[in-house]
Amino acid sequence: MTDQFPVLQIDGLSAGYGPMRVIHDLDLVVSAGEKVGLVGLNGHGKSTLFLAIAGLTHWQRGSIKLNEKQIGRNRSQGPGRYTHQIVHHGLSLIPQGDEIFQGLTVKDHLDSGAYTKSAWRNRAGRRKEILQIFPALEQLMDTSVGRLSGGERRMVAIGRGLMAKASLYLVDEPTLGLAPKLGKGVLEALFDIELGESAMVIAEQNVALLDGRVDRIIGMHVGKLKGEAAASLAYQTKREI
Amino acid sequence: MDWSYVIINAIVLACIYGTLAIGVSITWSSLGLINMSFGFIFSFAGYGAWLVAQHISHNGVVILASGILTGALGGVIVCALAFIPLHDKPNFTIRGMIATLAISLFGTQALLWYFGPRVKNIPPVFGYGSIKVFGSTMTYDKVGAVLTSILMLTAVLLWMKSSRRGLEIRAMMQNPHAASIVGIGVRRTGFYVMAITGGLAGLASVLLSQTYYLQAFGGITPMIKGLSVALCGGLGSVTGVVIAAVILGINEAMTSRFWGGQYVLITQFGLIILILLIRPRGIAGILDKAREA
Repeated sequence: MTDQFPVLQIDGLSAGYGPMRVIHDLDLVVSAGEKVGLVGLNGHGKSTLFLAIAGLTHWQRGSIKLNEKQIGRNRSQGPGRYTHQIVHHGLSLIPQGDEIFQGLTVKDHLDSGAYTKSAWRNRAGRRKEILQIFPALEQLMDTSVGRLSGGERRMVAIGRGLMAKASLYLVDEPTLGLAPKLGKGVLEALFDIELGESAMVIAEQNVALLDGRVDRIIGMHVGKLKGEAAASLAYQTKREI
Repeated sequence: MDWSYVIINAIVLACIYGTLAIGVSITWSSLGLINMSFGFIFSFAGYGAWLVAQHISHNGVVILASGILTGALGGVIVCALAFIPLHDKPNFTIRGMIATLAISLFGTQALLWYFGPRVKNIPPVFGYGSIKVFGSTMTYDKVGAVLTSILMLTAVLLWMKSSRRGLEIRAMMQNPHAASIVGIGVRRTGFYVMAITGGLAGLASVLLSQTYYLQAFGGITPMIKGLSVALCGGLGSVTGVVIAAVILGINEAMTSRFWGGQYVLITQFGLIILILLIRPRGIAGILDKAREA
C-alpha cells in the first residue's frame, strides 16, 4: 500500500466546536485503493474528524490534503461554507444519521448525489449501478424518503454518497441504529464496492464487523489516533482499545 | 347580484398574490430568509418596465420581460447585499429580516428620489378590449394576468421539478446541512433562488400595474399580502400557497364588492388570523422539525 499515492493526507489537524477542542493535533494518511476502519467509542471524535475533513466543524486548523490539494483551512467560523467545494474536489461524506431530504423521492435523492458534470449526465446509469448494490431500492424509486424505514434510509444515504465517483468516501457509522442483520448487510455492500483509485474510511464501533474486510484498522481515543493494526489483528486491537 | 364578476376578480387577485407568495415561500424555505425587500424589488421591477416602455418599446411582451428581468436583477442585488454576508452568521433569520427591511426602505427612498413622487403609468401590456366569460365581460388585462401568472408559475414549478438547479433548490428547502454535504453551494443556490423569486415579483408588479399606478411605495402592500398569503398557506408549501391565494382572493373580491374596498385589509387579516389560530402551521404547512412528505 505504501507505494500508492496518498488520497488523503492530514497533518496536525485540530478541530472543535466553540471553546471545545475535539480533535487534537492529528495526523493520518490514506492511500488510494485502501479501505480503512476507524474504530473508537462514542464521543472520541470519529464523526468530528469526518466533519472537519468536510469543513463542517465550527473551527479547525492544520493541513488536510485531498488528492494533493489543500482543503483544510485555518478557520474560526463559517461551518459548511467551503463544504461544496471540498465535495467537488472528490470527497463523499456519508454522514451519521443519514442527513436525508425527507420530502424528496429516492430517485431525486440519488440524483442529488451526482454532483459532478459527468455523473449528472450519466445519472440514469449511475442509479442502475446503485440498484445493483441495493436491489431493495428498486421499487421505492418514486417513494419519498420520509416514508422509508431506517434500513432503507441508510441505503439511500449510502447510495447518494456513491452516485458520483469520489476519490475519498467517508462512511460514518453505517450500522448505527440498524438491526444487526440489516447493519451487516449494509456493511457487506460497502465492503464489496470496487474502489479502484479511490479510498474509503469507515467509522464503526463494532470491530468484529470489520474483521478481515478492511486493509487496516485505526483506533481513535480522545481526539487522537491510537495505534494501527492490520485487519487480522482486529480482535487484539479491540482489547487494547 | 353579480357573482361572475366577483369570481373573475377573485381569480385575478389569486393569481397575482399567488405569484408573489410563492416567491416569499420559496425564499423562506430554501434560504431561511424572510425577504422583507420584496416591496422594493416589486417597485424596482415596475420602474424597470416603465423605463423600457418609455424609451424602447410599447410591445407588451417586451414590457413583461423587462419587468421580470429587472425583478430578477433586484433579487440578485438583495441576495448580494443581505444573504451573502449574513447567511452563516448567528441569528441569521432576524438579521436577514432586518437587513432586507433596511434595503427595502433605502431602495424605495432611492426610487422616490430618482423618479420623483408622481405616479407613473405603464401602458397596457395586453391591449384594449374584452371577452365574455360566464356572461360577464373580462378585459384583456385580466385574462392576460391570469394566463401569464399561471404560465410563469407552471414554468417555474416544472423547472424546479425537472432541472438540476431545481433539484438543488428543493434539496436545500428540505435540509440545508445535507445539501452542502452533497456538494450544493449555498451561496450559488441563493443567487438562483433570489433571481427567480425576484422575477416572480417583477411579473406580479407588471400585472398589478395594469390596474394600479406605479409608485415608489406601491410595493409595500403587495409584499405584505404576499407574505401573509405565504404564511397562511404554510411557508414552504406550494399547494398551500395556491389554496391560500384562492381563499384570500375570493375574500378580497367579495369584500370590495359588497362592503367596499376600504374594508379589504380588515377582513383579509381577520381571515388570516382566524386560519392561523385554527392551524398555526398554515393550511398545508409542514412542521419545521418533522418535515414528512
